[in-house]
Amino acid sequence: MALSMELRCWGGGWGLPSVHTESLIVLAYAKFSGAEVVTSPIDWTWKTLTATVPELACGESTVTDPTQILNFLRKQRFNADYELTARQGADTLAYIALLEEKLRPALLHTFWVDAENYANVTRPWFASHSPFPLNFVVPCRHANLAISRILLTKGESPLNRINEIEAKLYTDAKECLNLLSYRLGTGVYFFGSSPTSLDAFVFGFLAPLCKASLPSSPLQTHLSQLENLTQFCENILALYFSSDQPASPSVQETKDANLQKLTQLVNKESNLIEKMDDNLRSSSPQHKQHRLDPKPSLANENSTPA
Amino acid sequence: MVVAVPLLNVRESHGLHLRVSSMSLAAEAFVSQMAAAEPWPETAALYQPLKDEQILLSDCASSLAVQAYLRMCGLPVQVVCKANAEFMSPSGKIPFIHVGNQVVSELGPIVQFTKAKGHSLSDGLDDLQRAEMKAYMELVNNRLLTAELYIQWCDDATAAEISRPRYSSPYAWPLCSLLAYQKQWEVRRKMAAIGWGDKSLEQVYEEVSQCCQALSQRLGTQPFFFNKQPTELDALVFGHLFTILTTRLTSTDLAERVKSYSNLLSFCRRIETSYFDGKSS
Repeated sequence: MALSMELRCWGGGWGLPSVHTESLIVLAYAKFSGAEVVTSPIDWTWKTLTATVPELACGESTVTDPTQILNFLRKQRFNADYELTARQGADTLAYIALLEEKLRPALLHTFWVDAENYANVTRPWFASHSPFPLNFVVPCRHANLAISRILLTKGESPLNRINEIEAKLYTDAKECLNLLSYRLGTGVYFFGSSPTSLDAFVFGFLAPLCKASLPSSPLQTHLSQLENLTQFCENILALYFSSDQPASPSVQETKDANLQKLTQLVNKESNLIEKMDDNLRSSSPQHKQHRLDPKPSLANENSTPA
Repeated sequence: MVVAVPLLNVRESHGLHLRVSSMSLAAEAFVSQMAAAEPWPETAALYQPLKDEQILLSDCASSLAVQAYLRMCGLPVQVVCKANAEFMSPSGKIPFIHVGNQVVSELGPIVQFTKAKGHSLSDGLDDLQRAEMKAYMELVNNRLLTAELYIQWCDDATAAEISRPRYSSPYAWPLCSLLAYQKQWEVRRKMAAIGWGDKSLEQVYEEVSQCCQALSQRLGTQPFFFNKQPTELDALVFGHLFTILTTRLTSTDLAERVKSYSNLLSFCRRIETSYFDGKSS
């Protein structure tokens, strides 16, 4: 029997099952490979500060980091890549590296550093999904981590100011999107007709950019011009995530369970009422018989029964 | 001085980004225009740290990659070793080339620079192949280069025995200690930011193996990665793999991992004999 697997991740929003790129990658891969993963969102808990997300708990062991989680799922025989050739496996690694190097810094900048986007979209969402008083702390922490990551990987050490490298970040990211578009071409998925881990990674990176309503984002405008990429995201959302309504599956299940219990109680009540009714109806002749029975014993001595 | 250049990318972006960052994009476009104006001079020079005492694994690999690329393009360049090459470089990274009156550092910008002068190795590739080439170059940067930096500066044994003494060898005390520890601190911060801070040495070797396996599968039995002509990807892979194979570290694990892929070994030997006349410069 497979052990139940629980995934701790950020919750859904903007029409997506999760707003966090790494969580989306794991969720998408789980759907592609058919792994039954129970999502437990960390929203409104203290785990928003303490936990590294996403985190997969299976039995005794926990795994973090999307690549490690995907490896773990593959070892549990949930493998969406078994049809890939060796060369396609190598291409997967290369394109994932391209996403990490070229697209991630620009995405971090768009969501966490750009002042308008951060104030209007990102910070309200994360603040509203964190408990008090963490709603003051969590968004700032993520923003600082994002800035330091961009500066350390892309910044030129004598300058170390974010303005100087913004242009380079976005040109690199737009080139990366173009390259992905060339690679995808007219196909539904990147390799053949079934989705693989590369599709999960690309979906995780692109879907928030596609769906979030950002006030100022040249990168989002650029992505909307690449129709095959937007179609790719919409396709995956429609096929694999459309059954998830705004309420997450676990909440839906508890609602169903409650409804069942209620129905059972009502049924029991109605059964009881029926029985009581039967008793009342049938109890009167019995009651009369009970009354009659002592009478004959008394009457036996005095007169004949009437 | 008015520079009229087509700033295509800038036209797409708008708002804040245009105002604050138009300087660097315009500067880049200006450099390209100036570059196109002059042919490649004979006095081009490539600067790197001192070869025997100072240079470290990652810098040597990057420098060799650029040298291989320029040789593949048929462009002559002199290699000049200076102790303060890292500080002379406009971006702080090794190597950088001094051509005419321009200074360009790192393989990516150098490739664009030579392209502006009319020399390019990847013109024959179609869009899909160019996408693949760039993806594989990022794979090498993301895995091999990061692993080299990790091994040099985050592994305590290597840092103490090799990296810190070599890096600070041209300088007197106390400057040598300061510079070495500052560099180590910078690299460790970067590793922590990208999630490599918690990795063990064994996991880093595993990343290198996976990268080499991907490169080996992509190369297959072909002489070069794309068709029969070398591209900048071949130069980059050669630079890193050759340096890993020929550099003595505290342990031979890294070189052993690369040696297990025979087609990569023969690839390195082929480029060495074709472009470096059998001896590395």
